[in-house]
Amino acid sequence: MKTVGIDVGSLSTKSALMDDDYKVIASDVVLTGGSNRAATEMTYDNVLKKAALTRADIGFVVTTGYGRENVPFADKHVSEITCHGIGMHLENPDVRSILEIGGQDSKAILIDEKGHVATFAMNDKCAAGCGRFLEVTARAMGMELKDLGEVSARSTNNVRISSTCTVFAETEIVSLVADGTPIPDIVKGVHNSIATRAVSLLRSLGIRHRRETGASDTGENGVGSVGMSGGVALNSGVVKSLEELLETEIYVVENPQVRGAIGAAYIGQRLAGD
Amino acid sequence: MAQEEVNVNRERARKERRDQYQNLLKLIGEPRPEAGGGPSLKAARMRSIVNSHRLAGAYKEESKVAYVSEQFPSEIVFAFDVIPWNIESMAIMLAQTVDVDRVIQVTQEQGLSRDICSFLRGPRGMMWSDCYPTPDLILMNNQPCEGLSKTGVLSGKDYQAPSLALHTPSTVDEDSLSYLAKQMERMMSQMEDLLGTKLDPEALRSTVRYSNQAKEYYNKTVELLKGHKLPGVARELQEVFGMNYFGTKENVQICKVLYEEALELLGEETDKKRVMWIGQTPEESHELLRHMRQAVDIVFWSPLWDANAVMLDEDEPLRGLAERGILYHWDADRMRTETAQMCDDYEIEGFLIANVWGCRNMMGVSPMLRELATSKDLKFLTINIDLVDRNNYAFNHVKNRIDAFLEIVQ
Repeated sequence: MKTVGIDVGSLSTKSALMDDDYKVIASDVVLTGGSNRAATEMTYDNVLKKAALTRADIGFVVTTGYGRENVPFADKHVSEITCHGIGMHLENPDVRSILEIGGQDSKAILIDEKGHVATFAMNDKCAAGCGRFLEVTARAMGMELKDLGEVSARSTNNVRISSTCTVFAETEIVSLVADGTPIPDIVKGVHNSIATRAVSLLRSLGIRHRRETGASDTGENGVGSVGMSGGVALNSGVVKSLEELLETEIYVVENPQVRGAIGAAYIGQRLAGD
Repeated sequence: MAQEEVNVNRERARKERRDQYQNLLKLIGEPRPEAGGGPSLKAARMRSIVNSHRLAGAYKEESKVAYVSEQFPSEIVFAFDVIPWNIESMAIMLAQTVDVDRVIQVTQEQGLSRDICSFLRGPRGMMWSDCYPTPDLILMNNQPCEGLSKTGVLSGKDYQAPSLALHTPSTVDEDSLSYLAKQMERMMSQMEDLLGTKLDPEALRSTVRYSNQAKEYYNKTVELLKGHKLPGVARELQEVFGMNYFGTKENVQICKVLYEEALELLGEETDKKRVMWIGQTPEESHELLRHMRQAVDIVFWSPLWDANAVMLDEDEPLRGLAERGILYHWDADRMRTETAQMCDDYEIEGFLIANVWGCRNMMGVSPMLRELATSKDLKFLTINIDLVDRNNYAFNHVKNRIDAFLEIVQ
């Protein structure tokens, strides 16, 4: 049986089509825009088209993400925390700590050896430190979102972005640009700001640096292998800032933006099997 | 304060209450679309009527009203024939009914930061909107919330009403019990002067007797929750706890009816997993609770505390009241021991730790609760919410993590 997982996010809607060998046959990403229902229909049709299938070929549809309950053809909806957990586990069973940074929230997730969520933490109050934050700052500097990672690699100085609010941070960035601060340094500062928040989330779950625990590798409560998923994982600059702060390598899962949808499709396989 | 001044203030209070009651009625908002759907226990309906009666009674010109803080020894207040007006509980109750956005706006206009706990801002906003009944006196204790106690004292200055405050120590020992009991004794003497009436010892014995009778039913109902998941009962215990109407005949009736209903519900138990809600609690029909109830059985932390079980000596009640007050203090070590026992007794599978914005007490106990949950291999979720100020809270944002938590628990 083939299943589809659809992750209806705030910025983009993603889909993944999986066969009963848990192999991802096709995936798709569209902008959510003003109607998540329309975006869901579009990505569902797109992913089916890529696999040369029709809706009649699909045995089970699981939706996740903020708009998960607004999908009339869904058989089941599951939170994206669960989906990203299992989605990461499918790709790399050694990962126990996950950072998932999406459009409007960031999450630190701890999973057990079966990929089940043990505990998690999410950002509160505002979307600073999320994809939307990057979008706003890219716009403030007149850049494309996709170029941020490459630009930050050219940074030579640390610039601190101190504001905790996306709107205020934008003002701060505009001031830095006006002061003639090199753009790569500002972008690096933005990435460091996001990474700092993400690391705080991990630490709130008890995750510590290796040098703090004295562990040689991935020992209990050690940073160990941190997996990253969500759209922001595509930004190499944020990943680099995280690696510097955590003093460990970040495992960026394949198709990070679609990982929640892949997890949803897998849950569909399990549920269809029951 | 001179007797003449007391009389002038009382006369002024009578006049102001007429307008304040009308102001309150004007603040009644449109029903929220998400309201409704709560359990319909007979005890809950009875409590609702008693609350309405108290609400209306406090606005009567001839009534005597005391602003009180959480878990103030209400037996003493009732013995003086004074209506206790719990400024914090009233704020959450009225948040369901009145245009709370307007009330919160008033606090901002008065310069209160939106980061201050809305359980403090709410009452202040109600006072500044001139909707709470003018108090004859203010009776505060600093447990569990010192901020609330200070808010009460500040309100006394606004209303020119005398304030009496108890300082509750945090350890249960001979010195502490004696220290607090003596404060209560002195407070009663001051109340006699301020109210111009001598306390009838029989009146105090009577309120203590009612309190004990209610507690007997209350404790038996709590006991039934061990091993039994009875729909709506845990919630009603929370309401009885929050209402703190101990010392009245009506509360005996409510507790008795609740116990009888709990017995009847023994055959209708739910097989859902049980989660304990820790921290300030939203009103019964709140969307978070309705959403969670679909998946799990919820028990509430505060009504299960040991402090609630304390029985009072009819002839020497102050020592028991002192013990109860001290036990209500949020001492993290004591809370840890109690909570660990609760987890076993009530078969808890997870904690939902509700951090109300700006609440320093929750900040103090949250790390302990998370550590306890981890040590007992329980699932837990910490959420930052605001139960009064809707500008600080979005259901959809919180719902996402609640859903994930429920998936983990199940």
